[in-house]
Amino acid sequence: MADSSVKLETPHELVRPALVDHGRSIQWVTENVSNIVESSTPKWWLLSFCITSPIALMGLICIVYQISNGVGVWGENHPNGWAWDITNFVFWIGIGHAGTLISAVLFLTRQKWRTSINRAAEAMTLFAVVCAGIFPAIHVGRVWYAWFLAPIPNTNAIWPNFRSPLLWDVFAVSTYFSVSVLFWFVGLIPDLATLRDRAKSRVAQIIYGVLALGWRGGNRQWRHYEMAYLLLAGLSTPLVLSVHSIVSFDFATSIMPGWHTTIFPPYFVAGAIFGGFAMVLTIMLPAARIFPQINDMITRNHVDKMAKIILLTGSIVGYAYLMELFVAWYGANKFEGFTFFTARANIDGKGWYQWAYWIMMFCNVISPQIFWFKKMRTNYVVVFVVCQFVNVGMWFERFTIIVTSLAQDFLPSSWGHYSPSTTEILTFVGTFGIFLSLFLLFMRFLPMIAISEVKGVTPEADPHNHHLKH
Amino acid sequence: MSKRIFQHPEEPQTGKRYWRSLGQLQDTPEFRQWMHREFPQGASEIDGNDVSRRGFLQFMGASVALAGLSLASCRRPLKNLVPFTKAVEWSVPGKALFFASVMPTRNGGMPLVVTTFDGRPTKIEGNPLHPVNKGTTDVWAQSSVLDLYDPQRSKDVLSLGKKSDFVSFEKDLEEILKTSADGSGVAFLVDGIVSPTRERLRRKVLAKYPKAMWATYEPNGNDLEVAAAAVAFGNGHEVVNRLDQADIVLTVDRDILGVEGDIASVRGFAARRKVDGPKANMNRLYVVENRYTLTGGMSDHRLRLAASRSGAFLKALAAQVAKLSGDQFLATLAAGLKVVDTKIKDKWVEECAADLWAHKGKALVLAGNKQPVAVQALALAVNVSLGALGKTIELKKSAVDASASIAELAEELRKGAVKGLFILGGNPVYNAPADVHWAEAQAKAKTVVHLSIDQNETSAKAHWHVPAAHYLEQWEDCYASDGSYVVGQPVILPLYNGITGNELLAKIAGISADPLTLVRDTFAEVTSASGDYSAVWAKTLKNGFFSNASAKSIEAALRVDAVTKAIGDSPAASLADGQFELVFITDSKVDDGRYANNGWLQELPDPVTKLTWDNAALLSPAAARKLGVDTGDVIRLSMGEKKLEIAALVLPGHADDSISVAVGYGRTEVGSVGKSVGVNVFPFQTTVDRRFLTGVSALKTGRRHALAITQEHGALEGRGADITRQATTQEWSENAENKDFFKKMGIDAHAPANFSLYTHPPLDDVHGWGMAVDLNSCIGCAACMTACQAENNIPIVGKEQVINGREMHWMRTDRYFASEGGDADEPEMVSQPMMCQQCENAPCETVCPVNATVHSEDGLNVMAYNRCIGTRYCANNCPFKVRRFNFFDYNQRSITNLYRWNLISEKGTPDSIQMQKNPNVTVRMRGVMEKCTFCVQRVQEAKIAAKVKSSDSGVQPRVPADSFTSACAQVCPTEAIVFGDIRNPESRIAKLKEDQRGYRLLEYLNTENRVWYLARIRNPNPKMPDAARAGSASKGGHGHGGSHGHTSSQNGGHA
Repeated sequence: MADSSVKLETPHELVRPALVDHGRSIQWVTENVSNIVESSTPKWWLLSFCITSPIALMGLICIVYQISNGVGVWGENHPNGWAWDITNFVFWIGIGHAGTLISAVLFLTRQKWRTSINRAAEAMTLFAVVCAGIFPAIHVGRVWYAWFLAPIPNTNAIWPNFRSPLLWDVFAVSTYFSVSVLFWFVGLIPDLATLRDRAKSRVAQIIYGVLALGWRGGNRQWRHYEMAYLLLAGLSTPLVLSVHSIVSFDFATSIMPGWHTTIFPPYFVAGAIFGGFAMVLTIMLPAARIFPQINDMITRNHVDKMAKIILLTGSIVGYAYLMELFVAWYGANKFEGFTFFTARANIDGKGWYQWAYWIMMFCNVISPQIFWFKKMRTNYVVVFVVCQFVNVGMWFERFTIIVTSLAQDFLPSSWGHYSPSTTEILTFVGTFGIFLSLFLLFMRFLPMIAISEVKGVTPEADPHNHHLKH
Repeated sequence: MSKRIFQHPEEPQTGKRYWRSLGQLQDTPEFRQWMHREFPQGASEIDGNDVSRRGFLQFMGASVALAGLSLASCRRPLKNLVPFTKAVEWSVPGKALFFASVMPTRNGGMPLVVTTFDGRPTKIEGNPLHPVNKGTTDVWAQSSVLDLYDPQRSKDVLSLGKKSDFVSFEKDLEEILKTSADGSGVAFLVDGIVSPTRERLRRKVLAKYPKAMWATYEPNGNDLEVAAAAVAFGNGHEVVNRLDQADIVLTVDRDILGVEGDIASVRGFAARRKVDGPKANMNRLYVVENRYTLTGGMSDHRLRLAASRSGAFLKALAAQVAKLSGDQFLATLAAGLKVVDTKIKDKWVEECAADLWAHKGKALVLAGNKQPVAVQALALAVNVSLGALGKTIELKKSAVDASASIAELAEELRKGAVKGLFILGGNPVYNAPADVHWAEAQAKAKTVVHLSIDQNETSAKAHWHVPAAHYLEQWEDCYASDGSYVVGQPVILPLYNGITGNELLAKIAGISADPLTLVRDTFAEVTSASGDYSAVWAKTLKNGFFSNASAKSIEAALRVDAVTKAIGDSPAASLADGQFELVFITDSKVDDGRYANNGWLQELPDPVTKLTWDNAALLSPAAARKLGVDTGDVIRLSMGEKKLEIAALVLPGHADDSISVAVGYGRTEVGSVGKSVGVNVFPFQTTVDRRFLTGVSALKTGRRHALAITQEHGALEGRGADITRQATTQEWSENAENKDFFKKMGIDAHAPANFSLYTHPPLDDVHGWGMAVDLNSCIGCAACMTACQAENNIPIVGKEQVINGREMHWMRTDRYFASEGGDADEPEMVSQPMMCQQCENAPCETVCPVNATVHSEDGLNVMAYNRCIGTRYCANNCPFKVRRFNFFDYNQRSITNLYRWNLISEKGTPDSIQMQKNPNVTVRMRGVMEKCTFCVQRVQEAKIAAKVKSSDSGVQPRVPADSFTSACAQVCPTEAIVFGDIRNPESRIAKLKEDQRGYRLLEYLNTENRVWYLARIRNPNPKMPDAARAGSASKGGHGHGGSHGHTSSQNGGHA
């Protein structure tokens, strides 16, 4: 390489596109990201917040009503002990997967394109986990005794049941939430310092100052910081796999046909990443439209890559769906066969929820196939539409798994339909209010793009980079 | 404990009044108003409207001292509060005391043993000493304890609807009686219970007032059956059906195992149905009926036929029997019965008649007890021809004198001849036949006195309403169906000042005696005791009955002329094509409407339709298609002027030209439970058309009505061989040596042997509790469900929540319709009681995150309610879906008010309802999971008793085999459910679980259930055209979908 007589030409198609378009400078990045926080509150933001926060409040009122009167205000019954509650839980916790995957796994695999999207994705993860956490907490009949789940040594020497997947869930989700908060906050420190340094009002200086934990940007601090970030990334990576694997154990370790399936852990993880990326794009694409200045950081290239991940994980999920059908046939167990072919796919007209199954099939398996075409992957409208399909499809996947298995199980005498109550629907809608309100607050008060990390991938940060020079 | 001597103070003439203010002393309206404002909680107690805890203590303490107190009149005498500070003899807090008593019913008294805790009756059991029921009971006896505590029971004497008192009533009573010295203008209308004391007092009353009129009305009674017996054998004869003597039984429109039979017939049938091996001499049941009933469900051959064609069927049958027997007289009778058309399957009748004739002397033909007298008389003639008399039917002398009918009484009333009308029990304004126009007739009487336990439609139209005592509150007596004399012993003082009919009759007869003396005097008369009979009396009280007085069967010959005349005079029932017949069916829950305010019964699913909180028009799938309706669509039934709008319920196996509606619904004057429940069909019933009304047209209205059906899905979906296993007698005898014949059906025929990676802690108690359910003798009557509800403090949830699928019954009776080709017209019906299977490898236990459901060493899957947080994961993972979740606070909130914000709603249960609760079973709060515990409170009681007896503090001694049982097993009239200790080789369960017919549900899941089902055996007649259908329910879905396994014998062949 050092031989100057041979001029090495990288083929055009192998040239990695720039991560920041238009050769923006470091200063430009700082300026444009900080500006979002520092400028006066835009009208669209106020309007949006005035819509989302009452929805969030409505959700909270529904929760208070439900706790006050009992789970009966929802639509659950015998035999459908779970329905929307756990569907919503798994839906939200699945969404919470993209953040960790982007921040940890892509960090460890040196996927530098992650830098412009990881902050928002992580924030989204946290807010999704907050929404997810609501459901298992309030779905229990006596929420005021939920502390029985904690392994507290007490005088009765009663411990939680360590054989129960639901208990593993408690540990898995709370660990995931703690580590995600930590990881997110650590990543924020240099940017908070930037905001502190730029802040003009005393209040902002104090708040960002406290949050920045005395960051000065010295070399020593950077060394420690990067090591801490790397360690946290290492710690988070297994969590990406563990959380949803354990959530899937809730079903896989049971004996219900349609739940008792060994394929669940990988299929749930793939599904979670699939749904998570769809939600990241659902939020980022409008944000990129609202803040044109970030278009140079979140580029078509990013969208293209995320669409590829959606295509990959969607295909894994589709494979899992087909494999479930195959095993149900091959296993020759009539109860399992019934669950898959009748209760879900409804090939003989006796199933009840085939619409949920076929919505799931279309949204999750068919719709992402359009991403085989690069043109489609880089078309923001197409990507946004497909992401909505995926969001819907992933919700129906959980609904299908939970309700079809319970509604029509072993003894036909105990079969029973399920339909949600108004309170139940409004509670779910309310969690969207909570999620969006939190995200709006995040966009308003914290840098939604990791300033320091993006600066690290600008051309300026790498004087030896040569591929732009020809 | 020394014997307690009561030293009651003298009854004060003018008692001291203690008062707190002048207002209270004067008891002004202003004071009352103030009091209600100030003490809303206690006001009713001070008013004396409701029975309160304090008031209750008064009753309770006194109930122990009841015997020997003399009641001077029907006025309530002063009773003294006996505090529990000095222990009452025998009464140990928390320990049950048992008293023998009886529940009066129209089929004779049901002998009972009543469980009481601290003076409150909480649970009813059958009297194990009595031969009629041997410790078993039925749905109505089980739920009657709730009626006792109904807070909306009648509490006050009402004069024209206004609160009055006994003194004014008695004054008016004297006025009425004064006007008529010889009884002309006095009339009595009584219900159909058979009480010796009432009969004795009736004779006294009629002796004093010889011209008084005495009428009986029982809407669902057997008066037509009595009339048919009178035609066939002469007045005063009653027919007793001996199903225990019959090899072949044919029922024609008679639900003998359900609402149109009694516990004796059910037990008689079951005795001949139980089998211990393929060689057992099992009976065979032919059923002809218009809709599926419990009897049809047990049948070996079933012919669905409109109820109005029953006469035509019997005509054809009688002709066949006459041909075989050469009985010329029967042939003439058969020819004499007028029928319009005979759409009867010839082959079916021929083979059935041949089978009956082949079992001459051991065959029994039962016609519907509300069919026209001529039809029933023809059936009796067939029986005589089959040599049944003295063998499968016996005659006995009627225990009651003949009395006038309600139509005759109405006629008298309309003439204006009746001044004083006494209605003792019953509710004729609501349920009298329409052509009697009772309400109008009753209004003609100058004074109407209505004695009843609740304020119903008749009380609202009576001048005087007098609250009646519940049968658990006062001395009564009855004849049981075998004729033995049964004493009804009170176990609590009347909660709401009710009096008995006997007290009222005694008053009218001028006898001054309390209810106890009235009954004792009858006892002396019945037993012909003279001198001091107190020892016999004491023994009778202890045992509950006096058996020496059993009525002997009598002999009589068929009255040829009377039968010929009755049959000749009978008009033909016509059923034109395109029209429907409307069949009035006795409701399995509210009966004739009398139990409409009983929440347990309203919420009990009908054994066949699984409908709760409603009645519906039952029709066949074909009829539904014709009308373009489905279950829940409202249809309009009309017959001339009469119209009725009622929701349709499509019932497989129903006759196509027939619509059945249960009577007893649509009550208007009733407590809050029974209000606006169902539709009243009594206005269609007339004195002639008691059973069916032909020429009814039905139309779709386009409206919908939500029906609360507890079992959404009735088809087996090809899982019969997995869930409800059965075989025919032939298949069984072919596989008699194959131990695994019943164990390897369905999926278990293919599943590899079970093994477990996880071993649970050893179940090493000396006991191991288990249960066996014999599907061959279970008729599906649901008495077990009610018994479970009473024993285990199970709440009701109301219609709305049943629709939401949240009923709380710990056990249910699953009812399936199945047929090989999915034919909904001619399916088989199978019932299967389902309760917690107490799996040794319980799927629910591993998934509970807080260890709220765990296993006990004696093999019970137990619930720790205090620990449960209500994740419902256990219920999801239960393959049998037997766990029940408290979605609302059913014990704290009114079922009509569950959705109102908890913080601003009233909470609490009426005190009287709390008294019914079993103190040994926790009352669960909302958010808690519950399920069948195998009556763990009974298990613990037995274990503790055994331990106390052994006086060894270390080792748990073994409880004697079969010394106690669970509530469901105890009540089961056919003894199909057996509970016990599988580790004790002497127990019945230890033997039953080794039975060849024994199988466990979903064995392949390796849950190691502790409930064994004994497969059902069908006994079809191979010559019958439909013989191949028998047992088809468990064949349809054999593993490989029909490539093999069309018969059960082949199913077994895989073993």
